[in-house]
Amino acid sequence: MMISRRILILQKRSFSSVRRILCPYTSQTPNPNLSPAQASASFRSAGSHSSILHFNVPYIAVNRSFFSSHAVADLPVGGIVDVPLAQTGEGIAECELLKWFVQEGDQIEEFQPICEVQSDKATIEITSRYKGKVAQILYVPGDIVKVGETLLKIVVEEAQVLTHVSENPTPTQEGLKNIKPCDSELTKNDICEVLSTPAVRNLAKQHGVDLNDVKGTGKDGRILKEDVLQYAFQKGSIKDPSASLTSASRRQFLGGEEDHPHPSGEVPWSYEDKTVPLRGFQRTMVKSMSMAAKVPHFHYVDEINCDALVELKSSFQSTNSDPDVKHTFLPTLIKSLSMALSKYPLMNSCFNDELLEVILKGSHNIGIAMATSSGLVVPNIKNVQSLSILEITKELSRLQKLALDNKLNPVDICGGTITLSNIGAIGGKFGSPLLNLPEVSIIAIGRIQKVPQFTDDGNIYPASIMTVNIGADHRVLDGATVARFCGEWKQFIEKPELLMLHMK
Amino acid sequence: MGIPGKIGVPMMNLVRLKGVPILQQLHLEERLLRTSSHNWCIINDGTNQPTIVMGVSGKPAELLEIESVLCDQIPVVRRFTGGGTVLVDPGTIFVTFICNKDAVAGVQPYPQPIMSWSGALYNKVFQGIGDFHLRENDYVFGDRKFGGNAQSITKNRWIHHTSFLWDYEVRNMANLKLPARVPEYRLARGHLEFICRMKDYLPRSVFIDRTIEATKTHFSLRSTDLEAIETSANTKFCPSTRLLTMQELETAAKFASQSKVSLSQSFSL
Repeated sequence: MMISRRILILQKRSFSSVRRILCPYTSQTPNPNLSPAQASASFRSAGSHSSILHFNVPYIAVNRSFFSSHAVADLPVGGIVDVPLAQTGEGIAECELLKWFVQEGDQIEEFQPICEVQSDKATIEITSRYKGKVAQILYVPGDIVKVGETLLKIVVEEAQVLTHVSENPTPTQEGLKNIKPCDSELTKNDICEVLSTPAVRNLAKQHGVDLNDVKGTGKDGRILKEDVLQYAFQKGSIKDPSASLTSASRRQFLGGEEDHPHPSGEVPWSYEDKTVPLRGFQRTMVKSMSMAAKVPHFHYVDEINCDALVELKSSFQSTNSDPDVKHTFLPTLIKSLSMALSKYPLMNSCFNDELLEVILKGSHNIGIAMATSSGLVVPNIKNVQSLSILEITKELSRLQKLALDNKLNPVDICGGTITLSNIGAIGGKFGSPLLNLPEVSIIAIGRIQKVPQFTDDGNIYPASIMTVNIGADHRVLDGATVARFCGEWKQFIEKPELLMLHMK
Repeated sequence: MGIPGKIGVPMMNLVRLKGVPILQQLHLEERLLRTSSHNWCIINDGTNQPTIVMGVSGKPAELLEIESVLCDQIPVVRRFTGGGTVLVDPGTIFVTFICNKDAVAGVQPYPQPIMSWSGALYNKVFQGIGDFHLRENDYVFGDRKFGGNAQSITKNRWIHHTSFLWDYEVRNMANLKLPARVPEYRLARGHLEFICRMKDYLPRSVFIDRTIEATKTHFSLRSTDLEAIETSANTKFCPSTRLLTMQELETAAKFASQSKVSLSQSFSL
């Protein structure tokens, strides 16, 4: 199992607490009578959407080979149904909204056309799967809507049966799958007009906070977790808002998220299957790992004595006067890696398998694998060969902060020449990493562990040992090269004074 | 619902036109799509005058060399289907299919299945004639486009229409900008390196006859004329396809030149 690439632990939630994320791109009631030519593009969405979607939110299972112009909706909870833009064809990831046929407050029938969208060459009428009243329209004509994003919200009169779309039907012939909605109280927060994520709504419920009373500091007045905690703190519901936030963020970073406990008896546990469509970084991971799996890998494992590294870090920390700088092992490992790459440039190269060419990269752009709430991402530190350890520390901190906030720039993610995966930060002895193509090597480092070692005369002494696993492209690299490279790197870690010898 | 003609094969009305203005053709198509319950095949053998036809969300400032369009006084139409911009003239042959959603067995009423079905139909038409392919959403010989497609899918019906470049005037191409969205296979080619003429492959009448024959493999065709349709027309229907006004084009031209000015200003900073 590729420990360094494991899928983050999904959050366990009951159905009653599941909510769709509101589209953040509109906060005004649109005029559905505008024709596409007249409608302004003021709400045109931009940038990467994947960072906003909460991948833990379950979707209704839709077989990928079946396309539906019926807006297949989420499980109706207490009458409100989020109606997403359904898949309208293979490879169609987004559509332009052309016009609405309904407006807020309208009563609509099942199969009634609700809007028209355009994808590529086709205009497509989207029909409603449900009978009910239009509660909220979330896009205006001219907006680009990604498949799966909520188009509008409908208030359904009664709990309606969820349909499961099967492989070869026409749109009117669908298999039925009964799912009982879990009992839950419809609170004011569930049908309020504020922008917030399901996680934030739950947090508010937990602290007895009415979201309508909270001032949102996010984009378009969106209410963030911090806003709820701050409000609850002011109200006196909680003692320290930053503690709740930090522990929540830490859990997010490590990959598990339990936003709220389940008091027994209040919220029933659900054992139903949940379908999670992969978006953003996770989706990218599917593609990149599938390609990486085609490359013949070999793995070289070694142990590195980190006693000197531990001492060095303590020394940095004790003489550190800058409160913004926190010294860890990683920057020294990164710098020494760069020193070793100077001697073995083949390890820092890219392979073009069509032209059978290896490009020896001039810069050491060392990628650091990071686990975020949205999945695995590998930003890289550019030109490590020209950076000091302190500069590397600061740059690493900058990238980590951006990654946690899901605000990495494309330039931070592109152009990497080798990847370091510090799976040891989470745990484990070592991983068996997959290449981050088109790079030819990747290094997974395990946790530094204090283990007993033997001297030559049989005495036992403690040593801080770190296990490394170097994954390499066997079309380009052979065992000997990797072994020698690893030996060189190991030397710089075990004897950091050698770094001074090569200092320019 | 497919109205059975021959056993198992639904009925389709065939309308053969020649030199009909493209605006009139599009109005007809839109009306038939939205108000009829029959299947239709419309073939217009050339339109009467050069006209620019944009897709439903086409923006003139982005797609057209408006100064040139205004100078040449070329009418600009915005049609009801998606897709890109074409300049049509007497050298363009139009073939349109309007079908009920379950008219064609095994073809789901969504963009890709319809596109694939049309590709298979025209494969029969061009068998042995050229290196025909459906490439992304275009009909090509080799890697050169000669047919462009657009669709509209409603609750119960769909339309798939094609403009075939039997011939074209090079100077007319100067009215179209290089679009922002292009198929991947276009690479960086300009108009003239990207398209080709169908007349280099087969005569007009042969193309039309072969298309009708290929359509007969899916439908039982029945010829209808334009007058018959128009007399039984639903006069309440208002099509969305329309001619852009001079004012709209002039406004777009002003907007385009303002954008150029601000762009050059930002570069000079």
